[in-house]
Parts: sequence; structure tokens; C-alpha cells
Amino acid sequence: MTAVSVRDLLQDLLGVVPAGCDHAEARVVVRDSEAIGVRNGAVEWLESEASAGVGVRVRSGGAWGFAATAEMTPAAARGALARAIAVAEAQPRPAAGRRAWAAAVTGVTPATGTWASPCAQDPFAVSVDVKLDHLLAAEAAMAGDARIARREASCLSVRTHVTFASTAGALCEQTIVHCGGGLEALAVDGDEAQVRSYPSGHGGSVAAAGWEHLLSLDLAANAPRVAEEAVALLTAPVCPTGPVTLVLGGEQLALQVHESIGHALELDRMLGAEASYAGTSWIAPSDIGSLRFGSEPMHVTADATLPGGLGTFAWDDEGVAARRTTLVDGGILRAALSDRTSAAAIGLAESGGCARADGFARQPIVRMTNVSLEPGGAGSLADLLADTGEGLYLETNRSWSIDDRRLHFQFGTEIAREIRRGELGRLYRNASYAGVSPRFWGSLDAVCSAPEWRLHGLLNCGKGEPGQIMAVSHGTAPARFRGVEVGAGGGGPGPSEARCRTAAR
Amino acid sequence: MTGPPDPLDLAGRVLEAAGGGETQVTVVHERSLTNRFAGSVPTQATALDTVTVHVLSVVDGQTGGASCTALDDATLRATAGRARRAAEAAARSGPGIYPGLPEPAAGGGHDGFDAATAELDPAAAGAALAAAAGAAGEHGLDADGVWTAGDVRTAITSSRGLAVADRVTDAAMRVLCRDASGRAGFAAGAGTGLGHVDGAALAHRAAAKVVTGQAAGLEPGEYPVVLEHEAVGALLDMLGDLAFNGLAHAEGRGALVGRLGARVAARGIELSDAPRFPGTLPRAFDAEGVPKAPRPLIEDGVARAVVHDTRSAAIAGDGAASTGHALEPGGSAWGPGTRNLVLAGGGAASVDELAAPIERGIYITRLWYLNVVHERSALLTGVSREGTFLVEDGRIARPLRDVRFTDSVLRILAATEALTSAQRLVSEAEFYGTRFASGTVAPALRADGFRITGGA
Repeated sequence: MTAVSVRDLLQDLLGVVPAGCDHAEARVVVRDSEAIGVRNGAVEWLESEASAGVGVRVRSGGAWGFAATAEMTPAAARGALARAIAVAEAQPRPAAGRRAWAAAVTGVTPATGTWASPCAQDPFAVSVDVKLDHLLAAEAAMAGDARIARREASCLSVRTHVTFASTAGALCEQTIVHCGGGLEALAVDGDEAQVRSYPSGHGGSVAAAGWEHLLSLDLAANAPRVAEEAVALLTAPVCPTGPVTLVLGGEQLALQVHESIGHALELDRMLGAEASYAGTSWIAPSDIGSLRFGSEPMHVTADATLPGGLGTFAWDDEGVAARRTTLVDGGILRAALSDRTSAAAIGLAESGGCARADGFARQPIVRMTNVSLEPGGAGSLADLLADTGEGLYLETNRSWSIDDRRLHFQFGTEIAREIRRGELGRLYRNASYAGVSPRFWGSLDAVCSAPEWRLHGLLNCGKGEPGQIMAVSHGTAPARFRGVEVGAGGGGPGPSEARCRTAAR
Repeated sequence: MTGPPDPLDLAGRVLEAAGGGETQVTVVHERSLTNRFAGSVPTQATALDTVTVHVLSVVDGQTGGASCTALDDATLRATAGRARRAAEAAARSGPGIYPGLPEPAAGGGHDGFDAATAELDPAAAGAALAAAAGAAGEHGLDADGVWTAGDVRTAITSSRGLAVADRVTDAAMRVLCRDASGRAGFAAGAGTGLGHVDGAALAHRAAAKVVTGQAAGLEPGEYPVVLEHEAVGALLDMLGDLAFNGLAHAEGRGALVGRLGARVAARGIELSDAPRFPGTLPRAFDAEGVPKAPRPLIEDGVARAVVHDTRSAAIAGDGAASTGHALEPGGSAWGPGTRNLVLAGGGAASVDELAAPIERGIYITRLWYLNVVHERSALLTGVSREGTFLVEDGRIARPLRDVRFTDSVLRILAATEALTSAQRLVSEAEFYGTRFASGTVAPALRADGFRITGGA
């Protein structure tokens, strides 16, 4: 459909919303994606997806309902509206003395306008042949050692066009392009198998940008090192255990921020709305403004305006304008991630602008935008290592696990190196570390400076029922933590959050 | 609104539009309803009705895929063209390893469709939510959870003459009961129809796990453990990917490399992938249209087999063939998967009987956020959630703070001492992307030496 006809479709739909409906909104989402992967000299996957449809959310009869259809005709959209109303009104009324969920929503200036994310080179205008040549050259550069069982290079391009309208008068459109990729080498020898990735695990580096972002990664130049490190890990000693001074590389730190800060600060989780699946949070809404989440160097923001971020947009999926919010300032919790309903539930005047939906067939829920640990003043990574003296440096996430309250975690990394006399030393394999969120963030004592700060994209954040996958970014610079438990263990028994509930000074 | 066409008719039409060449067309029509609730009040309700068309093209052993959701002729032709061009582009880099689309083969039927469930009546969801909230209220507790039901029709046609269709329904409900202090208990039900989800019964079961009293802590170490069905199912689900994935096995990173034919679990452990076992969520064929069939994986504790799709079988060589476990048309780049695991039950009448020999140990209802620490040894980490108890002197005695474990699933199976006779379908019912209901049929079990590495 053309942009004009999509607008007509939405305006026709909102024109027939029954008077009994407190609120209605609709999103038409048109998404194109292309995923290419090469493995061991051959093309392993080459897939394109084109999806389009309309999702309708209403509040009717004191409850919320959502319905979606891929048939983009006025009749089908009206059918989805009717279905959304039907499922909303079929829900049981709260028992006496209980308030309905999200009976109020924060007010918002109706979103109007158009926006597009910056994209220098449209990835969909780059031929498949060019992409394949690029990936095959990078993948081939990992060849040479017979112990490399799998060499892989991949790229991903996604273009999403969203048109949003609501009974509050919103009508806006935005187009967002994501592009990126990465490398992975799997080395196998006997009973040992080790993986090394570049620039990061789990799909590489993806940003809100065009093909230029993939080119900037210089995959082929990094490929030989990736293969060498995978092989070296096979015979590296197992990572030592025990409490150590730990320096985390930026990419691993990004996932640490994601799991232990971002999810813990989703207001719907705090309110119990995600209890049945993703879980709750160890943090309560009443903690905002006073909870000591971490140490003085801990400054965390949520910023949907950051250039290149996968959590960057002009308006969220409730039509709330993008914004930058300070979440943690000097270790003290200042705000949570919210949408219009959760913000209203705790009496906030404004939504945090964090409502996001995974395509047309999912309703918006509270999501991270770009949640970042702000840079500190520790200088370069070399400066930080020199200041550290002895410890461990861990880099590139391999596995992650955290409890349903986002308190106790355990992460594994692809690689660890000793820090000896202020420099990186020998390699270790099978590194992991564990901790308890506030205790861990309380042990933060240095963050590298702005030149070391990077945005790291994460493609696979899961939440919601039915499940929704969301792409987010996290800005980090390498940082140092004291007394962290390394090895399978840590996060010992006993609650620690009680000690964090002290008033901010 | 005319409604979507019959999936098999549509798949035939798209195959025709593809205009020759080696092609597979897959059509999936999902209708579903998902209702969530928290604090005993409804929070979200989602009704979906979507059709996805996927075209796989094969050229010189290379595959290209394209999908769409619009069903007009122009879009369908364009989608087929995109798939063809993708395969041709891949073929320009050299021949690929895909051996070609499978030949049609006769498969068996199943009883995985329930007409009443397919009605997706919103009133049924509302009634289940009300029942769960009411039952929780009887215990002075709040209920959180989800109710979901789906009707999924799948059709596959191919240039090899394949033309198959399947229709399955599923229903699942999870209920958490929570007290004012945040202590919670969990219960879940799942199956092919609404008869498997009883909101009130689940809420009563969950409420029984909310026990007052100070929760004990536990030092890291090795403990005897009773794992309830949900916890066992979660572990086996991970094991399916780590041990029985034929691609991982062929690449030398699978947990059974060098161990097929060897004892990997305790005597009596019988694990299979059984797509028509009573209580499972059956389906007629895999994503390549290969008929589903039972496949023994561990027999009397001895590892017997891995599973394959067409692609992984070609990589494995040595006479390997698809076992009907493709997860995507053309086979997933990450390999095949078990989606109907069944662990045979044992002789224990109840979890209380499992706990009886334990002097001091742990009872775990549910595990959460499992992830791989070491692939080759099937070493996982994760935490317990919503129903963890200390077992003392043979009794499930008092609440325990949640624990983190780091242990190998195969080691746990090797250390398994007893299983309940009663099995239960364990289904995550997460439904990322297009709905694909699957689950593991598992009993509860007792195992020795469960490795706790931290508190939670």
C-alpha cells in the first residue's frame, strides 16, 4: 500500500471506533529484512522477509484488547477492531476492592510528523552478490587451521516503516533501518570446543545505519585474529576461580547492563505485570529517588535519541516522543523505564517513552531503548589496566543467566586474560563470573573515558506473551569491578538489597 | 473480508506461480488468543489471525528463502522470485551442500486437533482467568499468569510432488499465586485442547506452594534433589539441542560426540522423541514435509541416536538421513531439533515418595533462565523459581530461597535414582514469531549430587 492509503486506512478505522471505547490506536507496520550467512566456504542461509499488517489496541469495557491482521483492507482492519473490542470486553471484571489494570494512561501530545533514521547507504540497494563476496572473503580469512570446524560470517538488514494513529489525534510515520553483521570461528579438538566472535557474539554488531556500518567493521581484517584466538582457547588454561578484580570489556558490559539494570528497571515488571513470564524486579516503584543501586561512578541513562542505537526512534509505539532519561545518577536510582499505562499507575505525569512492539502482530509493552552506562574518567583501557595491576579481563559474551527478579546473575565469556603488572597477559578459557546486582554495581570503581565508549547492539531481547523479540543498544566503556566471584559460583546466599535501601545523600 | 484461503490451496497456487525449478512452499495460518493477568486482574488480551507464506528455492545445492504475509498474486509471485534469485546468487558462489528436497512419503495421522479449542472463544479465556483469580482468593493470594490457545494450519507443497496439510490446536495456562511478601508458587497445564487447562485447579496447585515461614538459605554444594515435572522438562528441552542435534554432533560440538552406544544416563532412563505419544503436542510432518515418527534417543541409559534434517544428514554423511526434525524449510542453519521429547516414567507414586529417602536436599518446582556453560558436557546454569523447598528427613519441609545451579543434564540423568509414574506435558508456550506449540512429556525425578553454585 502507498503511504497515503495507509493513512487513509488508519483514519477510516479510527473513524468507526464505537463511542464506548475509551481509547483506540492502530499501527501499520511494514517490515523488510534480509539475513545472509556463509559457513565454511558456502552460503548457509539467504533469507528475505516481507511482512505487513495492522495491529489495533483498544480500551473498552474497562479492559485492554489487541488484535492484528495481515490483510490491509478497511474491512479487515475493522474486523481487527471488532475483535480487539470483543477480547477486551470478554475479560472478567476485577473483584470488589480491586482496581482494573491500567485504568488510566498518562496524557501525551498527539504525535504528528515523519522521521527516518540516518542511513548513508541503503543496505537493500546493495546487491546480494556484493554482500556474499564481502562475507565469503571475511570467512575465508579465518581458514588455515584444521581445528577450525566452523567459520561463519553473517549480515542482517532490516527496514521497518511504522504508521501510527490514535483516537487522541496522533498520526505519525517513521522509517528505521538497521544493518550489521559479524564473524564467528568454532574450534574443536577432542573434548574441547571453543568459539570466538567479532565484533561480538550473538550476531555481531548491528546498528541503526546502512551498509556503511557493516563496512566499518572491517570483518576480513579481523578474521585471522578471531580464528587464532579460537584455536588458542582450546589449550588455554581454565579460568581461575575466586574473588578477583575484574575488568569487563564493553560488549560483555553491555549485556551486564541489559540484564541487571535495564530489565530490572522496567516499570511493568516492578508492578508485577510480567510475573507470569519474564518475572518481576527486586526494585519497587517506591525505591525511585532513594535506592542506592551502585557506587558513585555508576551513571546510567535511557536515550531513544542516540544516533545509531537500535533503541532509537522519533516516537515510541504509543506515539510518545523519544527522550533521554537519567536512570541512575551517582549510584542512586532516579527513574524507571515506563510506558503510558505503567507511568500512570504510579502517578507519573509523563510516560518514559519506552513502549515498543515487535511488529504489527504484537502490542506495545515496556521495553528498553538505549540503556547505557555513561563514560567515566579512567582514561583508555590501557590506562585502566595499568591502574589495576593484577586481575582478570573478560570479553565477549558467551552465555547469560539471571533470576526472575534480576538480582542474581551468572555470565560466561568467550575469552579471559590475566591482568599482570598492569598489562594483559595469558589467555584463559571457560570464563564465568557471578554476582548480585546491587553488590556487583556497588563494586564498580572505574569506568573508561568517552573515547572508549561504544554503542553495542543486542538483537535478541525476549519478553511478553506472546513472545516479542526486540533490538536494543547499550553504550559502555570498559569498567572495573572489585572482588567479583569468578568461576562457577558466586552470588552467595543471603539477600543484599536491604542494605541498598538508604536515602540518597 | 473474505477470510484467508485454504492453506493447501494457497501453497499449490504459490508453487505454480514459482514457475518451475526446485521449490518448496510453506503456508502457516495462525489463529490464537492470549490473555494475561496480574494481581488477579486481566492486563492484556491479544487475538491474532495471520498467514505467512514461505518459498524455498534450491539451485545447485544452494537454498534461498523468502516470505511474505500479503496474499495477493503480485506479492506471492514477487516472493517466489526473491527466493529464486537468492538461490541463484548463492549458487554463483559455488555448489552448495543441500542434497535436494525430500521425496514425498506417507505419514501417520494424529489426534492433535480439538474443534472446541479452535473456536478461540474469548469467553473461555475470561472464565479461566476468573476461575484462577477466585481460587487464589480462597487462599488469600493474588494470581498472575497467562492463558493461551491456538489453532495452526500448516501446508507444504513442493516441486517433488509433495502436498501435505496439518492442523493442530493447543492450549496452555500458567498460574502464579503470590502473597503480600512476594513469595510465589507456580503451576502450569498444557495440551491439545482447553480440557488441559483448568484455571481453578492450577491456582489451587500453585497456592499450595506458597508456604509461610522464614525461607532457609543453602550453601553452595552438592545435594540430592527432587525436580518436579516442569524442572525436568526444562532440562530435557535444553538437552535436546545440546545432545541430539545432528548438526552439532557432526560438527564435533554435540554432547554425545563419541558417546553413541555408551551409557550416558542411569539404567532405566528411556528418552525418545515421540510425536504421537499421548499427552504430547503432535504434528504430522516437519518443516521439510518429512513425516514425523518416533525416535528412541536414550534406551536403558544408553545413548542411541541423534536427529537430522535433510541438511544436517548431508553434512553428517555416513548414510545419515532426515529423521523428520527440520525446524525450517531447507533445514535450519543451527540444525534440527527435538520437539516431542518423552521421558518415560518410573515407579514412584508421588513427589513425596521421591523425597522420602532424602535426609537433606532440595525440592525444585521450576527452573528459569537456563543457559549453556559448556556445550560438550551439556553443562547448564539456571535458577529455581516459584516453589523451592528444603527436604529434611524425607519430607518436603520448609521454603528455601531460590538457588542457582550449574550442572550437566547428562550427569543429572546419570545420577537419577527414581521417577514418578505420572508424566506431565511441559510447554513453555512462549510463541516468539509464528506460533509453534511444542513441549516435553516428563515425570518428576530424584537425582543425587545436584550442584548448587549460589543463592538467588
